[in-house]
Amino acid sequence: MQVSQPMGPASSAPTPHIEVHGLELYYGSVPAVRGVSFNVLPGEQLTLLGPSGCGKSTTLRAIAGLEKPTSGEIRIDGVPMYSSAHQINIPAEKRRLSMVFQSYAIWPHMTVFDNVAYGLRVRRAGAPEIKEKVGHALSLVQMSEFAGRRASQLSGGQQQRVALARAFVFSPSVLLFDEPLSNLDAKLRADMRIELRDLQHRLGITSVYVTHDLEEALAMSDRIAVMRDGVIEQTGTPDEIYRLPRSAFVADFVGSANLIRGRLRTDLAVNDLIALETSAGHVVYCMAYGRPVGAELVVSVRTVHLTISSDRPAGTQNVWSARIGKTVFQGDFTQVHVGWGDQHLIARCAAMEPIAVGQEVYITVDPKRVVLLDA
Amino acid sequence: MTVSTVESARTWFSAQKIAGYGVAAVAAVFVLYPVYFLLQAAFDVGDPQVRPPTAYGLDNFSGLFQFPQILLNTLNVSLAATVMALVFGFVMAWILARTNVPGRRLFEQLMAVPYYLTPLLGALAWSLLGSPESGFINQIWRALGGHDHLIDINTGYGIAWVMALFEGSVAFVMIAAVMKSMDPSLEEASQVIGASRLRTMLRITLPLVVPGVLGAAIFVFAEMLGSFAVALVLGLPNRYYVVTTAIYQLVQQYPPKIQTAAAMGVSLFAVMFVMLFLYRRIVMAGSYVTITGKAFRPRVADVGPLRYVLLGVCVFYVFVAVALPLATLLYASVQKIAVAFPTAGNWTLDNFRTAMSMNAVRSALGNSLLLGFGTATIGVVLMGLLAWLIYRSRLPASGVMEYVVMFPQAVPRLVFAFGMMWAWVVFPIPIYGTLWLLLIAYITVFLPLGVRTIAGVMLQIDKSLEECAQMCGASWAFRVRTVTVPLLVPGLVAAWLLLFIASVRELGASILLMGPHSKVITPSIVESWFGTSSELTATLALIQTLVVAIAMIVLVAVTRRVGAQPVD
Amino acid sequence: MAGIKNRNVTRRTLLKIGGAISAAPFVGFPAPGVLAQGQTKSPTKVLDFMTNADVAKAEQEGQLVFYCHENEPGTAGIVEGFHKDFPKINTSYVRAQTGALYNKILSERSAGRFDVDVIQLSDLAPAVDFQKKGGYEQYVSPESPAYKAEHLSSPVGSFFWTGVDPAGIAYNKAKVTPSEAPKTWQDILNPRWKGVISCKISASGLQFVQWYALRKLYGPGFWKEFAKQNPHAFDSRVQLFDRLAKGDDKITAIGEYPAYILFKEKGANVEFVAPPDGLVATPLIVGAVSKAPHPEAAKLFVDWAMSKRGQAWYQTNPNLYYGSVRTDAPPMPTGVRLSEFKLLYPADWDDYANQRDVFSKEWNGMLGL
Repeated sequence: MQVSQPMGPASSAPTPHIEVHGLELYYGSVPAVRGVSFNVLPGEQLTLLGPSGCGKSTTLRAIAGLEKPTSGEIRIDGVPMYSSAHQINIPAEKRRLSMVFQSYAIWPHMTVFDNVAYGLRVRRAGAPEIKEKVGHALSLVQMSEFAGRRASQLSGGQQQRVALARAFVFSPSVLLFDEPLSNLDAKLRADMRIELRDLQHRLGITSVYVTHDLEEALAMSDRIAVMRDGVIEQTGTPDEIYRLPRSAFVADFVGSANLIRGRLRTDLAVNDLIALETSAGHVVYCMAYGRPVGAELVVSVRTVHLTISSDRPAGTQNVWSARIGKTVFQGDFTQVHVGWGDQHLIARCAAMEPIAVGQEVYITVDPKRVVLLDA
Repeated sequence: MTVSTVESARTWFSAQKIAGYGVAAVAAVFVLYPVYFLLQAAFDVGDPQVRPPTAYGLDNFSGLFQFPQILLNTLNVSLAATVMALVFGFVMAWILARTNVPGRRLFEQLMAVPYYLTPLLGALAWSLLGSPESGFINQIWRALGGHDHLIDINTGYGIAWVMALFEGSVAFVMIAAVMKSMDPSLEEASQVIGASRLRTMLRITLPLVVPGVLGAAIFVFAEMLGSFAVALVLGLPNRYYVVTTAIYQLVQQYPPKIQTAAAMGVSLFAVMFVMLFLYRRIVMAGSYVTITGKAFRPRVADVGPLRYVLLGVCVFYVFVAVALPLATLLYASVQKIAVAFPTAGNWTLDNFRTAMSMNAVRSALGNSLLLGFGTATIGVVLMGLLAWLIYRSRLPASGVMEYVVMFPQAVPRLVFAFGMMWAWVVFPIPIYGTLWLLLIAYITVFLPLGVRTIAGVMLQIDKSLEECAQMCGASWAFRVRTVTVPLLVPGLVAAWLLLFIASVRELGASILLMGPHSKVITPSIVESWFGTSSELTATLALIQTLVVAIAMIVLVAVTRRVGAQPVD
Repeated sequence: MAGIKNRNVTRRTLLKIGGAISAAPFVGFPAPGVLAQGQTKSPTKVLDFMTNADVAKAEQEGQLVFYCHENEPGTAGIVEGFHKDFPKINTSYVRAQTGALYNKILSERSAGRFDVDVIQLSDLAPAVDFQKKGGYEQYVSPESPAYKAEHLSSPVGSFFWTGVDPAGIAYNKAKVTPSEAPKTWQDILNPRWKGVISCKISASGLQFVQWYALRKLYGPGFWKEFAKQNPHAFDSRVQLFDRLAKGDDKITAIGEYPAYILFKEKGANVEFVAPPDGLVATPLIVGAVSKAPHPEAAKLFVDWAMSKRGQAWYQTNPNLYYGSVRTDAPPMPTGVRLSEFKLLYPADWDDYANQRDVFSKEWNGMLGL
């Protein structure tokens, strides 16, 4: 076993369990992954989040060994699994990982018990050990009474649980999830989300999770990497990603956001706030949060952070008048479009006093909630 | 660095690679070795008795131009047969897939029966029915006061008719598949807008179905070009030759014109190759396997009382294609001299007595069944591995192997056997004239059939089922054994049955490669046709059909118990 | 009859010359003049005939591979007769029309395959050719004295005439009125038979004889006229009579007497015509093959075939009905003796052999390939 040098300075930071460096994957001349790098620490769940076609599944499968990258490096526990520089490509069955598939991949010709026991049988475990571990795994996912059932007779949710039990029964150190919940209905998905999270914590397994569902990613992850078009746009905790998006794409993908452009008004800066002026003449106060401040700025305002009122609110900063465009009732909230200068803003408001189209109102937003984006 | 070299050495010798390359090498030898000899004979312009050839040239090909009639005949017959087959196939597919005719499932099964009955049997029966003088239909016609004859089956159109009936079920299967894979909501959208049913059919359904039908047309045409049995029985009396029977004649006559025959064979296969290439381009976008995505439930139209008319059409088709030929053969087999209106003294069971006592017949039947078992069993393993190699592995050989495996599709069986004759006669191991040669021949010519069937099932297995096994740590051999093969069993069984039937009914290759100790039944029936009375031949054909039917029933019953459902 | 005497002389001369030419390289056997081993043994009696073969050894060999020109039931019938008398010897056969059969055995031998024990041909020309090539085993049967010299090979020991297949004209009585009925060979050229007349294919020995004989009698224009009749050509006499009986053809230009007898028995409404110029006839030639896989069985078969017993089998089996040339043979089942027919053999067998290619070309051309 070749042991690699630790990357970066001798660290006080924990050694990453999974390392991906400069991963590229081209199908012929078509790029699927165009240079992706990230680390996953032991026991943490990193989610690759993004729209379809962004390369998240491909990246996951590359880590699993089911796809062969064009270049880059993948290390698990410091051991290279794939390295284009050193011509290493360890086959999937030898990487000692585990995976839950989108389609569950339950083998229809075996019973539930045999499905779960498969990984142990591959590892030549003895019958008593198999019985014990499978029993334990099935009870963890609450599928114990289905052990003797033919796998093809299960519902979607039940298959999902079995797939899960099968994936961790042989105590892998890494679990890969490829959109495991996307085939379930909304209610089940919400419940399973929580269960998965609990399970992962209980077992302390390092996970890489792929999804396009924002809520899922926010609820389950320790860290999220937002991907688009084969590259990672931003990595961070759910809170960071949500509150401090770096790019317009991330801002709008992770919860809906309004984008406002303007010229920097250095003369209006106060304390740690900076100001910009839109083309319509509105002055917007925002926070830089360490991003580079140029002459032209783009800021993001979450729709939930915009407040609408018919009376003029107290406060001097970020208060503007606007005209109601249209309202869309959404149950828990109402989406309100307002005309503001020469653009539209969208506000998401909880149940509020009735407002009419065309009505003149005031909108306001806390400057700390107005986030400067990277150029 | 040492680790990676050891690792790469281990991966080089992996079981996967050994199996993959091994099976590829075997298939390549089976397919390409005879083709080499065929080409060699075609370009040999030296003394035919001297081997290896002394001179090469194109004279044999330019000599083909003195046979324009043969080429015309072939084109005529193939075109007519294709058109007829498409019409039957389309009408029956429409009726069975799109209308609420009663007994649809039963008829779908019955549509396959003409294929199992073999075109040879059809040709024999229709010869008894439609010969201008002695044909039963014509005798009845004259008895009813008709003049001369009503039909003459020994013409190009007669041949095309029988070909369409018996070799055309493939058209039905393909068109039915196209209809079943059509999204019904496309038609519903048209009807909701207010278009009449007829308009919907003409403007929406037909244009959607046309590419698939076109593909079927090209495929069926290529098959008809290579067809042999029907033209042999019906065309030879009037010296109406098509390319395949001309090749046979050239090889069998004295003195044989081997080089001309080889040149004809090569030309035919070049044409068929082009046709099948076109077919792949137009329809398949790169693969011979129809990858069915979601299977839709097509809209079944309620045609009201018309149902019974359509039912009549179905019954009529089954009657003409199945019941009538069998009845005719039976009728002929119990007469001394087969006529439509026999006298009391004309009835006899002698034909059966003779047939059963003919040692050659008994051994031919036994050989055929034995070969059927052998071909199906070995074939399934070999072709299963090949299907995996081509469609599932990532080995570099896979692209080339697809061409090699599909190659025999483009070569008429007779022509292939011709090359095999030369190829294996000089082979150091004495398999020439034995059943082993026939076994190799059958496996070779059935490669496209077997690989296609197994691949079809294989591709329907979600890749993730195998990938998951990989992620659980299973080696290639382990997961093939525990996941792939069990899931493939229904497909493997279907392929086994298909191969069994195909090898028992095989004619074109067997007729050239049979030896004294390796007689098989279908060519024996042809030999009987040319060398004994038609009544005895009819008897033999019936016996063959019966034996094969019994074998099939037994096999299907056995496999049903094992839990696998034979797929058509 | 005079023609036949001439034939003897020229044939013997031809064969003597042939014998002097050494055997073709691929057979590698001593030239036909050398006596084979079997000569030194004294003949033994088995069943009711004499044989020089080692019967015990033949039975030990247990197999006989028979190549024959006859149709399937005919060939099966021949070996069935032998197997009945020698049940310990299993038989298998390959049948093909003479031309194709001869071609097959030659190409097999040239590829180094020697799988044949005995071969029967329906044409003297390939038999002589095979003898020249050393293809026949040199074996003189103790039954040979029962045959006239002209019915044996020269020198004796390569092959013999196991029978004669005479042919005239035959027609369907229901389709042909007595006034239309053919009486002479010329009658087959009558345009009323266009498209409803049959003949045999070019691989047939008998067809070659007919072509040669009638050509000599009536000139080369005869067959050119015949081509205008658009005849249907077939491999076997059974096919010809099958069609005749059912009316698919009205008349056949080469109606073999054995087939006529067979179909008459079946109740077919057919009639046989023996033209005054004579019936064309071909000898049916049997000989043991050299380098045979079962040499003793082969010799035994030859003796059996030559014997009274074997000849009776050949004469009375319904699929054969050959006319026997054995000097002490009984009449054919119809009561007719072969010698009562006027038989047309080629006068000059040498010239006959040389015309093979001409015949094939012309005949194949007439039939379309």
